[in-house]
Amino acid sequence: MLWQFSGDAPIYSQLIEQIKVGIVSGVFPPGERLPSVRDLATEAGVNPNTMQRALTELERDGLVYSQRTAGRFVTEDKAMIETAKRALAERHINAFLDAMTRLGYRREEVINMLRQEITGGGNGDVSLAM
Amino acid sequence: MLRKLLKHEFRATGRIMLPMIVILLATSVAANLSLRYLLNSRAWFFNMVGGLLMVAFVVAIIGVFVVAFVLMVQRFYKNLLQDEGYVMLTLPVSIHQHIWSKLIVSSVWFIVTTLAVILASCITVFDIGVVKEIFRGLGALLEELRKLQAYYAINGTAIAIELIVLTFLGLVAMCLQFYAALAAGHSLPSHKMAWSVVWYFGLQFVFQIIGVGGIQILDQVGFFDWSIFYPEIHLSHMAGIHIGLLMLTLATVVYGAVFYGITTFFLKKRLNLE
Amino acid sequence: MSVLQCNALSKCYGKTPALDQVSFTIEPGRIVGLLGPNGSGKTTLIKLANGLLTPSAGEILICGAAPGRATHGLVSYLPERTCIPTWMSARQLLDFYGDFYGDFRRDAAEEMLQHLDISPTQRVKQMSKGTREKVQLIMVMSRQAKLYLLDEPIGGVDPATRDYILSTIISNYNPEAAVVISTHLISDVEKVLDEVIFINRGQVMLQSTVDQIREEKGMSVDALFREVFKC
Repeated sequence: MLWQFSGDAPIYSQLIEQIKVGIVSGVFPPGERLPSVRDLATEAGVNPNTMQRALTELERDGLVYSQRTAGRFVTEDKAMIETAKRALAERHINAFLDAMTRLGYRREEVINMLRQEITGGGNGDVSLAM
Repeated sequence: MLRKLLKHEFRATGRIMLPMIVILLATSVAANLSLRYLLNSRAWFFNMVGGLLMVAFVVAIIGVFVVAFVLMVQRFYKNLLQDEGYVMLTLPVSIHQHIWSKLIVSSVWFIVTTLAVILASCITVFDIGVVKEIFRGLGALLEELRKLQAYYAINGTAIAIELIVLTFLGLVAMCLQFYAALAAGHSLPSHKMAWSVVWYFGLQFVFQIIGVGGIQILDQVGFFDWSIFYPEIHLSHMAGIHIGLLMLTLATVVYGAVFYGITTFFLKKRLNLE
Repeated sequence: MSVLQCNALSKCYGKTPALDQVSFTIEPGRIVGLLGPNGSGKTTLIKLANGLLTPSAGEILICGAAPGRATHGLVSYLPERTCIPTWMSARQLLDFYGDFYGDFRRDAAEEMLQHLDISPTQRVKQMSKGTREKVQLIMVMSRQAKLYLLDEPIGGVDPATRDYILSTIISNYNPEAAVVISTHLISDVEKVLDEVIFINRGQVMLQSTVDQIREEKGMSVDALFREVFKC
């Protein structure tokens, strides 16, 4: 997994986000045991306490559960993972829409542009311009 | 912990001192050969080689003493007051143990060096004839001693022992004077070495003043004429020598103790590593 | 009990104050950044904690005790420069640390040395500057101390070594011990830290957690540092 951090948001929330992406994308498959806090922290190059905090939050959300001796596991509840996936997607869409609004596009224009981009019908410049 | 300090101190110094001593003994063997054969040879070449080997032997004797001395100062300076001090002075070890380990190891090397030089000299002059002569000499000496009164024999031995003890304590005190000067000089923020030299000569000066002044005061109060006040105590010359040596020894111990105090004070309270 | 505690700690060199009425505590399990520009008093503070300097006023306590022989056994100290004896071989260095520190994990140190391809017979003198720094760090991190004081561990090393050092610090994390890292290279260490202490001209300007700063100010500690210490 590629761990990247931006400057503004708290590190633990960025960790939550990235572990969620890992779970949703199958890097950490359902029911799989997660690496230990120390290993995850070493891999991500972050403070173990921060990693611990992120995992605790994920546990509270139910995406991750812990078994006293065996460690932490990804949930087996596929529906829950799907919900998380959906929530992440919505976040990205909202961020995208906000950005387009700031550029001065109206919703219909955005939809049209997206449709053109996906069907490949538009001029190729759009992707270059992005 | 002192034992562990000693172990690592011997490791650090042994790697320099042991080769020096081996070189010294090797040159003494060479010197022996040149004394026995080369210098007596008719060929100028062998004569020259023999002469060079003798010179090498003398240089090795001077060298081993110089190295032992330099090492005594340098180990204290480099190991405690330079970069290595960061590691050494944060060990769970007291300052007293640090100073004692340096002192003990230096003293041991001084003794070992002296013994090695004596051994090397014996090797150099070793010759069957010479040994025979030495034994004959020793026999004669014993004979003479037997003729002498026990009084002189015992006193002579005692004086010899007292002198050796005094020399040894003098060496230790000299070590401590260097340590004290270095520790004091390095407590200052800059020109540490220059200040150490100043401290060394300053201490030297102060103790000379105290020594000379002390003797004068003792003389003034009539200490040296005490037999006048206590005519019933008769001091022979021999007892005078013993008392004199004993007082010198005591003075050396006091001298060393003061330097020890100065060294610990500066290392404990005024440490200022760069 | 806090691992490190300063109460109105001051240190003057002659008349210039290097630390002025500094008070803070550090709890076990924390990795703390001691951040400040050059000459702000970071090294002075760390030297005081190691008993290499004595306070002019106030006190500094390690696990409740003033620095001395007993606390030296609890503190693992990485000085700002490499100062392991250069004549020693790697093995002699292991002997040395093992002899003096009961908490030294020799097997862990050997493993880390092996990982770096450093042979036990290699002398410190023959090692490159970067290798020496790594070896010294290995010795320091192989101890099971209560307090690790790392003075500028990542200053003046290449980025690969920097990553190695930081990951060594993380992988040796112990919830019962605290780690203090002094540095002015904040962006590199920020992710590794729980807490930061900003220090300037001998005074503590701020003590906070990294995520609290990011949450409240909406900026990284690095950005905040640049703002606070703007010239």
